[in-house]
Amino acid sequence: MSASRRLDALRAAGVEYVAGVPCSYLKKFFAGCRELPPAAFLPAVREDHAVAACVGAWLGGRRALAAMQNSGLGYCLEVLTSLHLMCGVPLPMVVSDRGDPSDYEEHRILGQRTRQLFDLFAIPWRAARPGAEEEDARWLVETAERERRPAVLLVGKEADA
Amino acid sequence: MTRAEAVALVLSRLPEDDVVVAADGAISREAYRAHDRLRTFYMLGSMGQVASIALGLATTRPERVVALDGDGNLLMGFGGIAMVGGLKPANLFHVVLDNGCYATTGGQPALSRQVDLAAAAAAAGYRWARRCERGEDAGAAVDAWLAAPGPAFLNLVVEAADPAPAPRVPMTPEEMAERVRAALAR
Repeated sequence: MSASRRLDALRAAGVEYVAGVPCSYLKKFFAGCRELPPAAFLPAVREDHAVAACVGAWLGGRRALAAMQNSGLGYCLEVLTSLHLMCGVPLPMVVSDRGDPSDYEEHRILGQRTRQLFDLFAIPWRAARPGAEEEDARWLVETAERERRPAVLLVGKEADA
Repeated sequence: MTRAEAVALVLSRLPEDDVVVAADGAISREAYRAHDRLRTFYMLGSMGQVASIALGLATTRPERVVALDGDGNLLMGFGGIAMVGGLKPANLFHVVLDNGCYATTGGQPALSRQVDLAAAAAAAGYRWARRCERGEDAGAAVDAWLAAPGPAFLNLVVEAADPAPAPRVPMTPEEMAERVRAALAR
């Protein structure tokens, strides 16, 4: 058991490598990541480097997951389109769901278009449900593997676990 | 020394077990033409991510992982050397074929003539980092780099001229990725 029920659930669902950039909505998740051995967690310096490192880990035979704030998605688009989507590389993603009207200004413009962004690139997503971490983890890993593309679990403020 | 000659030189020094990540654009095409290997991943896009992909491989594989990078490519994703230097995977060997320009798009100048890439890699924490200016020294420089403690960084200055452009790699993107993954799973 780590500090994160979500991370434990994802590891039980088969995730072997995590790369990511922290978000305050994912405090528990990243607290869990810090307990992982160095070969299983990459504290990336920017989100595009995290998803690119996940391609390397996948080529190396690991089931790799990327975690980030939704503000980092813009940086990731080139890698998601020219590596994961183009080459058929699965990528489970844990992405925070910032940007509702009560959130700070800097989160709203991209945050309120996050779902449309995934839909535009035919990236499957679902909103995480508090208490359903195990089922959400299985859906995320199975969907990414089956469709050989990114799949996203959107984590709102109340769903950090 | 042309970039294509430098690519061929580096590949000639690598055993077949080594894993190679070849930068998108001319470097991948020249790597394929010089010596196609089952364990070479040919990037097509994602400029700036050579070191990051190599890092993901190096932390999950025991073999040596060689990042075959370009100067414009490295500068685009400069944070990559911070992750490699900070985490210090001993099996990651990074070489930058430095022609001082964006050759693939028409030779526009890059900032690599104003930025000391080897000094940046050393400052980021690579255990060994050198710059090689002259073609006649390149063979010895490559040998010293591959014998150095990793992560090791070699900035290999090459000519800007591109006398014989290499054709595109004749594989689909899915095939390029699956081939490397399958070769590493054996």
